Amino acid sequence: MDVELAKPFVKAAMDVIGTMAFITPRPSKPFVKKNSIATGDVTGLVGLTGDGKRGSVSISFSKQCAVAMVKNMLGDDIQDIVSDVKDAVGEITNMISGQARAGLSEKGLVFQGSTPTVIMGDNHSISHMAKSPIMAIPFETDEGGFTIEFCFE
Amino acid sequence: MSKLDGFHDKDFLEQVTILNEIASSRDSSTLNGLMDLFENPTGDTGVDYMVVNTLNAVLGANEDAVIQGLHSQNLAFRTLCIRTAGEYTFPDAAEPLAEMAEDETDTDRLAEILAALAKIHPANGASIFRAFLGHDDPMIASLAMEMAGAYADSQAVIFLKAAVEATDATHSYDQCDITTWKAIDALATMATPEAIAFLAANVHHKNPTARRIITDALVRVGEPAIAHLESHYGQGDVDQRILACNIIGFIGSRKGADGLVQGFDKGYFTEPNVRYAAFEALGRIGTLKGLVCLVDGLMETDELILMAVVTGLERHAAPGILKTISDRIAEGGERSSRIAHAVIASRALRLFQELYKDETVGTALLVELKKSQDPEILSDFATRLEEIGTDRSKADAASLPKPKTATRKALAADDSKSMLALYRSILTDMGIEPLMAVNGQEAYAYVEAGEFADVVITDMNMPVMDGMELVGKLRGSLGYEDVPILMVTTESEGSQREMASKTGVTAFLTKPFKPADLKAKLIEMLGG
Repeated sequence: MDVELAKPFVKAAMDVIGTMAFITPRPSKPFVKKNSIATGDVTGLVGLTGDGKRGSVSISFSKQCAVAMVKNMLGDDIQDIVSDVKDAVGEITNMISGQARAGLSEKGLVFQGSTPTVIMGDNHSISHMAKSPIMAIPFETDEGGFTIEFCFE
Repeated sequence: MSKLDGFHDKDFLEQVTILNEIASSRDSSTLNGLMDLFENPTGDTGVDYMVVNTLNAVLGANEDAVIQGLHSQNLAFRTLCIRTAGEYTFPDAAEPLAEMAEDETDTDRLAEILAALAKIHPANGASIFRAFLGHDDPMIASLAMEMAGAYADSQAVIFLKAAVEATDATHSYDQCDITTWKAIDALATMATPEAIAFLAANVHHKNPTARRIITDALVRVGEPAIAHLESHYGQGDVDQRILACNIIGFIGSRKGADGLVQGFDKGYFTEPNVRYAAFEALGRIGTLKGLVCLVDGLMETDELILMAVVTGLERHAAPGILKTISDRIAEGGERSSRIAHAVIASRALRLFQELYKDETVGTALLVELKKSQDPEILSDFATRLEEIGTDRSKADAASLPKPKTATRKALAADDSKSMLALYRSILTDMGIEPLMAVNGQEAYAYVEAGEFADVVITDMNMPVMDGMELVGKLRGSLGYEDVPILMVTTESEGSQREMASKTGVTAFLTKPFKPADLKAKLIEMLGG
């Protein structure tokens, strides 16, 4: 039931990024990949456990999109762009994870989420821990794209 | 008096305590009060969240209220009832949910309805889900496909087949539609002869990701897939035969080994790369018949095939078989030294230890070992000789050449153990230090750790990170923009090569190959 698990995250991402960063994401066609590598410039990653499953969800932003979010959230109050981006992506990932898990718990699917880890670096790659195929949902925004990836086993 | 009277005026702790009590008692008399709180939230997110969960718990004990709630005008409550109906698998909710699914236009809510129906799993569910197989929203179509598999819905097979064939490889080699993925999985779950035959016929799907998913699915199907895969032996093209051998090896069933042996007997495995795959598969399974066939494989002249044979024998060697191998090496001549070389190059230490007991064979093995330039091979066998602990073995260990220091490095990635062993032997022979990796990710880790390679050799299809992605990443890495990259592959299809060339591959070599071919290619790429 990967699709059932993925749907709340997609909805939460759209809600959270729309509300907090005033950016409207438009989902594109989801796909699966066989490798377990997520690539992006800034990635927020949370591990999930519960319902006999474990997995991870990552949200990888392009640099442009991450910076636009921070500017929208903090206005002119940016102190240090690097640490502010890191902070904002962590916070947004945490909110998305929280909101999605709340939705899942209404269906009796109770997951514990780890504290988000944020990875930064131009075109970096990270590994998901599962062996099953990874489902990825790309989003477009006026400020560049981001991709949510899931894997559960 | 209801437990929820004056709830808004109570403090946080009292509110939480009351909700906890209700959630555990699931007292239906509190339903109206909870509904009221659901519609008029307190404004405290924590408490309101608990109200939803408490309401969910109480609804879980009141099937009638849930069914009624499915028609509620309050959309949030309706959604909660849909979820609750699914969570508690209320059978009587199936009919109203199925009716709702027909008319629902909001895709989020439609997904909720279908997910709930999937959990309830009503007896007549197949037709409900069938209607959504071609839905515009790929998530909903995927859910319908999952259920078509769960219901083994024979009428859905035609849609599923179309979805498997639909994925388009030309855009991106590492992406595949989620509907294709789910259709493959649904067919594998059904596991009807028709479904398995279709998957087996598509082992060489044009999209590499879909191909991998089909491979995994057929391995999961296991024994029932074997007969369908075996039909490729006589009729399939080279790629199909290689993939059929690989999958049968991974299934690891005796039946598969018998089929492989028959394939050899009937003369189906004539091309060297098919023979290689067939021997590798036999080595994975390791039945008695298969081992006898592997021993026959010692007559092979191709170095790579011989290494697949030796790697298989290393895994399973029984005393009777050891005797035959030992005799073959003791015979002397060109064939003996080829086998001895394969034992050394595959680092078949267990086999070596047994064969070494015979002095003539031991000497023949030592001759080959001393030719090796590979520091790791020399040190592994030296250690093993020390461990054997006889005077002869200790003297032999001391007589081994000291490895030369290499000045150039090569990065080699391949998921086949015997291929890596071959690269190692050829590279060290050329005085190049090998950096070995079993997939693209491991290979890339060397680059991330700051290693520099003068040349890169990579397989195309590997788990975790395939060759294509590795090449793409290397070309984007500092210092690797112009490094020559050789892709070694069994793929004979032109389209795959074109994609690889675009990604940045310098040259290709088809498996299997003569070591001399690889050497020549490397010399050419390294500019002498």
